[in-house]
Amino acid sequence: MARNRLFRVLSLVVDIKTGEGQIAALLFLYFFLITTSYGIIKPLRNAFYLQANTAEKLPVAYLLTAVFMGFVVALHSKYQTRFPRKKLIIATLVFFGISVFIFAFLFRTGLPWVALLFFIWANTFIMVLSTQFFIVLNDIFNPREARRLIGFLISGGILGGIIGNLFVGYLGLKLHDDLLFIAFGIIAINIFVVASIFIWKTKHLAEKTAAFSPDRHQNKLSQKVGFKDCFETVRSHSYLRLLAGVVTITLIVSTLIDWQYNTVVEFSIQDTDLYASTFGYFNAIFLFVSFFFQLLITSKIIKRFGIRTSLLVYPVLLFICALLIGILPTVFLIGPLSTLVLAVTIKGADQSLDFSLNQSVRELLYIPVSPELKYKAKVFIDMFLNRFAKSFGALILMLVMIIPFAVPPDQEPFYIWKPRVLTVSIVSLVFILAWIVLNLKVSREYANTVKNKLARRYERADKIVGEKLDVDFMKLVVDTLENKARSSILYAMDVFDLLKQDKLTPEVKKLIGYKQDELRASAFASLLEEPGIGVGPQIEETYDEEFLINEIQEVMSSDVYQQIMSGYMQNVLEGKETSEVTDKMEVARAIGFMDSESPFADALDDLLRDSSPDVSKYAMESAAKLKQREHIPTLVKNLKNPMTRDDAKSALVKYGTRITGTLSDYMGDSNEHIELRKSVIDVLARIGNQEAVDFLLWELKQNMSQLDKDIIDALDLIRSENPGIQFEEPAVKAKLYEKIKIYYSQLIAFSEALTEDTRQKVRLIDMPDHFPKLISDIFKLMGLLYPHEDIVKAEQNILTGTKEATAYAVEMLDNILKKEVKDVIFPLVENLTLHERTMKCRILLASHPAFRVMNGERINS
Amino acid sequence: MQIQSRKQDDIIIFDIEGEIRRSDITDVTLHQLVKDQLDVGNKKILLNFEKVDFIDSFGVGEILASYISTHNLGGQLKIAKISHKLYLVFQVTMLTKVLDIVDDVETALSSFIEQ
Repeated sequence: MARNRLFRVLSLVVDIKTGEGQIAALLFLYFFLITTSYGIIKPLRNAFYLQANTAEKLPVAYLLTAVFMGFVVALHSKYQTRFPRKKLIIATLVFFGISVFIFAFLFRTGLPWVALLFFIWANTFIMVLSTQFFIVLNDIFNPREARRLIGFLISGGILGGIIGNLFVGYLGLKLHDDLLFIAFGIIAINIFVVASIFIWKTKHLAEKTAAFSPDRHQNKLSQKVGFKDCFETVRSHSYLRLLAGVVTITLIVSTLIDWQYNTVVEFSIQDTDLYASTFGYFNAIFLFVSFFFQLLITSKIIKRFGIRTSLLVYPVLLFICALLIGILPTVFLIGPLSTLVLAVTIKGADQSLDFSLNQSVRELLYIPVSPELKYKAKVFIDMFLNRFAKSFGALILMLVMIIPFAVPPDQEPFYIWKPRVLTVSIVSLVFILAWIVLNLKVSREYANTVKNKLARRYERADKIVGEKLDVDFMKLVVDTLENKARSSILYAMDVFDLLKQDKLTPEVKKLIGYKQDELRASAFASLLEEPGIGVGPQIEETYDEEFLINEIQEVMSSDVYQQIMSGYMQNVLEGKETSEVTDKMEVARAIGFMDSESPFADALDDLLRDSSPDVSKYAMESAAKLKQREHIPTLVKNLKNPMTRDDAKSALVKYGTRITGTLSDYMGDSNEHIELRKSVIDVLARIGNQEAVDFLLWELKQNMSQLDKDIIDALDLIRSENPGIQFEEPAVKAKLYEKIKIYYSQLIAFSEALTEDTRQKVRLIDMPDHFPKLISDIFKLMGLLYPHEDIVKAEQNILTGTKEATAYAVEMLDNILKKEVKDVIFPLVENLTLHERTMKCRILLASHPAFRVMNGERINS
Repeated sequence: MQIQSRKQDDIIIFDIEGEIRRSDITDVTLHQLVKDQLDVGNKKILLNFEKVDFIDSFGVGEILASYISTHNLGGQLKIAKISHKLYLVFQVTMLTKVLDIVDDVETALSSFIEQ
């Protein structure tokens, strides 16, 4: 009952699924407690440091922090492979808890170095604990789950920051360094929260990820793990380098903005005792804004606009702000108070978006990276590079400090800092432009990284057969074996064919019991009208096979042979009603060795129509060799008969591209037998040229639904074998929307027939068989519009994969499909209950423009 | 040729008897029977060749077509108990590289992978 209540409460603010309530609440609390404690620590960090030093010396603190973080990274990366995650995180919390306790006493000593040490410690605190939180997040969620929940989870962190800063804002003047004891208490509570998370993880995650990502076990030992190993991991992978670049620039810009903000505060507020509460209140306001942004807007932005646009919002906004703070005080000469308001606004924008949208999207970028790389990369990027970037920003600030700007000596200090503020703005603008470029590259690489997580579950059988088998050769060997017992002439012709194709291998010879002299004898036997006459005693393989081919060809092209064969064939054909099947087979076969001008080629038509499928088979083979147009109608008619269908198809395919027009006429003739039309579609698919595609699409547009499946299969086959072929987009899209609409309608009808309880439990793979077939058609149509391999992988993983594989497949589709298609596809493929799916289908059927056009409504452009 | 079908667990077994040749079939071919099973969601197909006396090139084409149809839907098709001579033919023509040929029906049944 308590769990259901939790789910109901959480579902008011986040798109949560059954089974996720507990872990979402625990992770929310985990991050909340980290940032609450940091919300107390940070303002004290700034306040203590500015009391002991000045803003001018901030870069020194940044630099020292960066150096120290290098050691922390080395240590953390070493320990994260040696110890279980749970032990490492709890030990870290214990360490920070004890050390904050110690600092509370150290500050009372008044020692000058404590503020600097605390500054470095505080930055280390948030870096390490945040990184550990996001590592746990990566362990638990796949990309689709993370997209839904990350807004909520990070809002816990923001809320914690608000509470912590409000504490300081309200109690700063009264309690001051005693606030560190409160921080200690919060850290202690967090130890129990972390323990609960790992208990949940052990219970729920063991089988979830093993099948998809067998290397997710975090205790895998590396040979050598240290700072260098982490660095090399990032350096050697382009995607990780891009992530590192984005994080670096983000923090450099953030450091510059932070300096501008602190500088303006310093020169606008003269009473230094007010710094702690000033920072506390301002930070609380910033965090308040980012909390509501995170809770209400972040997920919507990511869902609506995708990764790429979400990544661009923050730098574009900062670009505008940096431009304003550079121009307004200098060009429009606004005073110190106005500048303070501007600085606060820019800092607010920076902090709000950094903690909300930017943080969320950045964490999503890590999820498809393999665990072995990810955790080393995160440690290096989030801990060391984070600080390095800030110190690099500090270095830039130091350089700006030493520029001797000319300012009249009687001017107030504010006006001394104005040109520096402008210079820092210009530098920020340059970095932000680079940041935007990197974000665009990262979003492209993210899509590729997600794609690489998916593998085909099975290869297309046509492709396997095409690569591994020679089907004509296979059938010829089988025929040869049969014909050896049936007819020496047929046998001879088969072996002759094998010889000509250079396929009479030793294995084949052994199989068919091949004797060379038998072949010669059979060939000569036709001359002498004596079956199987021997040339002498058994002769071993003394003749060269090429010589044999030439010898036989010479015989067959001789006038004597032609005359005798003509007589023989005439007899057979004239008495075709009474002639033996074998004789007719021999004639049909022999015609294929003749010239297309031969008079016997005309006799082929009768043989094509022979009642014996064995005769018509050879006739069709010969027709395929002669390729005369007059035989096409009879070949097409043979498509009706299951006994002759396959051979007719093979023969027509061999005619090639010149008959696509003729075939399309048969396909489009509704008076023709349906099996004939379907077979013609198959032939067009195997011919597979642009003209065939155009004819098939034309037929698809005619909305003859009984042929739809075969045409879609044919187009899919052509697409898989000919990536360069063009498919008319409007025609394909129209059919795609039509199929989706049919699916929606059938789904709604199916759902309405079930009870409420069943509706909540039915999954995609539990649906009746016609649904997967409909979805398969839908995916095949999508494969004509989008990269075929990507769509095939998505289909296979969604229909037959694990939950993880499905999540990655859907994530990939989210990154490659256009919005108009994505909107109507996702209700079919997302991890939804039948009830949720049906609801979405109903809404889309009523409101989506594509279906409204199909329903006959006009859509105003 | 006669073809009987039966179901064991979720596997469809086609017991084929006689000769698979083009001149012997009726309106419904082996490939069509396989496709009918695939249409209703049965994706594990076993062809029992124990009583198959002879197979011509048409029959080989039917087997290949059945394999392609099954595999393209993510299913599995296996062949059991083919004669030694037929196995040699399949071997020489490289069909053994594509088809899953098993010694007996029981081994075949236990070798179908759960998806």
